[in-house]
Amino acid sequence: MPDGIGTDHQRIDGRAKVTGGARYASDVMLGNVAHAWLVTSAIARGHITGMDEAAARAVPGVLEVFSHRNMHGAVAETEFFAKGGYVGSTIRPLESDRIWHDGQIVAMVVADTLEAAREAAFRLQVEYREEQPAAGFDAAGVEVKAASEGGFEDPEVGDADRAYGNAEVKIEAEYSTPTQHHNPIELFTTTAHWVGGKLELHEGSQFVHGLKNGVAAQLGIDPADVHVVSPFVGGAFGSRGSLTQRTALVAEAARRLGRPVKLVPTRDQGFTIATYRAETRQKVKLAAGRDGKLQALVHEGWEVTSRPDPYKVGGTATTARIYACPNVRTKVNLVHADRNTPGFMRSPPELPYMFALESAMDELAVALNMDPVELRRVNDTQREPIKGLPYSSRNLVGCLDAGAKAFGWERRNPAPRSMRQGEWLVGWGMATSIYPTHIGAATARVTLLPSGHARVQTAAHDVGTGAYTAIGLAAAEGLGVSLDKVAVELGDSDLPPAPVAGGSNTTASVCNVVMKACDEIRARRAQGQQGAIEVYAENVPEGLPPEAIGKLYQGRNALGGGLEGGKQAMAAFGAIFVEVRVHERTREVRVPRAVGAFAAGRIVSPRQAHSQLTGGMIWGIGAALHETTEIDHRTARYMNDNLSEYLVPVNADIQQLDVIMLDERDSQANPLGIKGIGELGNVGTNAAVANAVFHATGTRPRHLPVRIEQLLG
Amino acid sequence: MLPLLTGTAAAQPAPATPPTESRTMDMTMEVNGQVHRLALDPRTTLLDALREHIGLTGSKKGCDQGQCGACTVLLDGRRVLGCLTLAASVGGRQVTTIEGLSRPEGALHPMQQAFLDHDAFQCGYCTPGQILSAVACVREGHAGSAEDIREYMSGNLCRCAAYPQIVAAVQQAAPQVERS
Repeated sequence: MPDGIGTDHQRIDGRAKVTGGARYASDVMLGNVAHAWLVTSAIARGHITGMDEAAARAVPGVLEVFSHRNMHGAVAETEFFAKGGYVGSTIRPLESDRIWHDGQIVAMVVADTLEAAREAAFRLQVEYREEQPAAGFDAAGVEVKAASEGGFEDPEVGDADRAYGNAEVKIEAEYSTPTQHHNPIELFTTTAHWVGGKLELHEGSQFVHGLKNGVAAQLGIDPADVHVVSPFVGGAFGSRGSLTQRTALVAEAARRLGRPVKLVPTRDQGFTIATYRAETRQKVKLAAGRDGKLQALVHEGWEVTSRPDPYKVGGTATTARIYACPNVRTKVNLVHADRNTPGFMRSPPELPYMFALESAMDELAVALNMDPVELRRVNDTQREPIKGLPYSSRNLVGCLDAGAKAFGWERRNPAPRSMRQGEWLVGWGMATSIYPTHIGAATARVTLLPSGHARVQTAAHDVGTGAYTAIGLAAAEGLGVSLDKVAVELGDSDLPPAPVAGGSNTTASVCNVVMKACDEIRARRAQGQQGAIEVYAENVPEGLPPEAIGKLYQGRNALGGGLEGGKQAMAAFGAIFVEVRVHERTREVRVPRAVGAFAAGRIVSPRQAHSQLTGGMIWGIGAALHETTEIDHRTARYMNDNLSEYLVPVNADIQQLDVIMLDERDSQANPLGIKGIGELGNVGTNAAVANAVFHATGTRPRHLPVRIEQLLG
Repeated sequence: MLPLLTGTAAAQPAPATPPTESRTMDMTMEVNGQVHRLALDPRTTLLDALREHIGLTGSKKGCDQGQCGACTVLLDGRRVLGCLTLAASVGGRQVTTIEGLSRPEGALHPMQQAFLDHDAFQCGYCTPGQILSAVACVREGHAGSAEDIREYMSGNLCRCAAYPQIVAAVQQAAPQVERS
């Protein structure tokens, strides 16, 4: 069988990755490179009052100490990405003496060697005038604003409050999810190199055209003079999508020093110089008839953000639309505190908000004395309830059936604390997963040589997602050649632009435009064209304006699809089933097995899709049991900003995981019927774990992560 | 005192308080069978020596404080963390990095092949450390069961979370690695 969409194949970039040959940003060897080391703020709010540079400058090999004293005005103000700009935070470090958050960059030391830069950074004396910071929700001095003030549309339909008042069965509960940090294993490195007035940037990126245009705007140079090189990215998860402020600083330092500058920030600096998942608090009210059919859904959220930037999680856009419910009221509130600006982290809206909804659904099932799978089945719908848009395809019921069967759900005794094995209480829980299907405007160049070899060039990104392989398989199918004859080039801003690797859109966006180019090549061959054939193609998905391509060249994303726009709602679905064991005395929680069943359109590269969904589910387990960034509320500083105290799942935390991918054909979503899967696996998994903990113990965990102390007493 | 002395390198005075004197130290290290003579700042870690001075960038920096395992290399066949090992301390011992496991265009080491077969990585950044750790895990006799592998591979974080695939890869390669 020829290679194509659906072929099980090893990663085509795999050999480079297992031999050490894959070159990540900081692996690039440049001659005469100088090394940068950051100094970050020891306070969360206030001003720098003094900086004694003498000891730092006395370290042999130090080239320069950059601070607000000599960098003021060097980096231009640019718009927040959500307002049409590029940056994930508008807080400009080294612009003034003002401190907006803990760990803000206050200086950057550059030296001939890494060791000298580090020593000098530690010898820099910074004095501050500290003001009392507001760390988060409960602090005095935070500013609360409705997200609707910034243009966010709170989904609403019917009269939820009246329906809730009249309903027979109802529950009301409050949930919270913590600050989390992406912690990709590759640090937030940047290497900048000026060659003949042009800037070459080596930085792991989820959006090379955004980085190129954004840095150009910050430095006041022509975007054509910026080249971003990012063929391999050592994990991203949302952290490398919008610009951080460090890039322009490194580029400016390299320009002034006239030699390449390489910055490898420390792990703890990564907690404060990039973004993170915002902390949320949520209230959910659900009401249903005795038959389990929802009559009212009320979901309100509060989210922490920085002082200047209105970053919004806004998961109510999804939770309002997933079940058949005639009366829905939602609201999102932003709480501005003295923190750095949060941002996208894998399944940004859905992970926290679906935790609350799917926990509440479990509580409703208990109140109804109904099986939680049956409750989801009863409330399934082929139309989202807010605008009545039809789903392009939706097979949640198929996922529930397949997952329940594989898990053995029918053997579950519904009573809490009813199942045990030795000293371990056993609990079985489940939840729904959903992720909106996005597709963006994209471009690609495909070349077919007379030898039968092909080359695909597009500035898409493989951040571990398997994009190289998926795009290669689409081209193999489109050209009728085997995958080993297809070379795929990604992650370089000199290539035709593709959207940000975010919102799980890459496979749909890029495979569709690549297929378009391949179709054109085949058509030309059918017309008798000889020799090498090169085709550049653009694709503007239905519902997006034609100028979406021009915007993409300017580094601005145009993503369509999802649940809210257009004539239909588009999403991938899943059902997650989890077994937990909670030790009767210590309350230690383990996850011996989990099953995820997913209906996510056409699966392009099954082996990599399996890894994505498995990895996503493990992220969900981590979100449920491990991950939280601890904050000292007196100082608004992070306390566990390292990988031994910020807990992520390790190999020993994970046992049996089964992923089922249902066959799904969706001709409505996009021509190839592709839905995104990179962010589907972790949605709902956190709730499934928490629901299983309730089933095991009778204690309802409403605050993540579920730690032993919540289950004692 | 730091364990600086190997081979012919001369001892230097303990680091002085400012101003620090610029100085380098001659050191020799054998990496993947090749001897390198270097003059480095004595504070240089094995990881930075490999990456910044020898040009072997397969070993990765993920935390620089011994918490993630991405810099795992073999020192006389045992796994060590490159970020917590001073370059000056490895003279006379053999360092094996990911680049030394197989020849550039030759057949892959069985563990590399197994990682490829099982898709035991996604972004690939932790992978060199995982593979070297896996080789040592087998040689230590800790690959007898999935449970053992999970425990003895837990010093290597994989944020993409390819853990089940890593366990499968180690199980596949273990018999061949034991024989090698």
